[in-house]
Amino acid sequence: MDRSTPETLNLLEALRREKDPTFAGLVERHHAKLLAVARSYLKDGEAEEAVQEAWISAYKAIDNFEGRSSIQTWLIRIVINEAKMRLRKAGREPTVSLSSVDSDAMAGRFKENGSWREPPVRWDFSSPDELLQERNLIDCIEKTLTSLPVNQRCVMELRDMDGLEFEDICNVLDLSASNVRVLLHRARTQLFAMVENYQETGQC
Amino acid sequence: MLNCERIVADADRLLADELGAWERLRVRAHLLMCHHCRRYVRQLRLLVGALAGWHGKANPEQVKKIMDIARRGG
Repeated sequence: MDRSTPETLNLLEALRREKDPTFAGLVERHHAKLLAVARSYLKDGEAEEAVQEAWISAYKAIDNFEGRSSIQTWLIRIVINEAKMRLRKAGREPTVSLSSVDSDAMAGRFKENGSWREPPVRWDFSSPDELLQERNLIDCIEKTLTSLPVNQRCVMELRDMDGLEFEDICNVLDLSASNVRVLLHRARTQLFAMVENYQETGQC
Repeated sequence: MLNCERIVADADRLLADELGAWERLRVRAHLLMCHHCRRYVRQLRLLVGALAGWHGKANPEQVKKIMDIARRGG
């Protein structure tokens, strides 16, 4: 199936015309996202090396990029393959699966009849921009992201931060759609509960 | 009628605009009556909106470094 979007076709044209400046634009736009994806699997230093290696591979292979997926999905796949290869070499087999210990942070907050026992508290932020201006809260969100199980963090990264479609996330992570949705829900409720706690106590 | 626990479970699909017409109607009917669930959905939408702008662009030094490495091939 040809999934080339007008944006991807324009990119392919630009790459043919002016490879280096166009590629530099991709680095500028995607580097931080790719680093965050790699950090779902690897420690900071290793993640940076893996992303550098992924950019080298991408630069070599970009002439063969046909635009059947978005460039972002293509780059993410290269990074994940590189990260998994490093884990395998180190004998740390990557696992992106559902685990019974990854709980739903909202699970205990309902009565038996399904109504709220512990309803959500009101936040002071009225827009995403207002939330992003709260430096301490940003640190808390970063900390919570780091503490999430690799599977949840990876799905949240790809869906909420990178904006990938569910179909692409399933393909890239080799997971079923239902598993991806459960993992995303758990990650979001975990983060939601932390923001609530921050709202009430000023701490993570 | 849907209960609050079910609304929280369905909130992700609501945000992604993936509910069918009938489900969406049932969720909206619940939200009209339940301010706790309205608050949950509103704040979840806000949080997800904040995450969408989480990663900024790489700075010019980082771009130059990566481009140098990529051109050299390692």
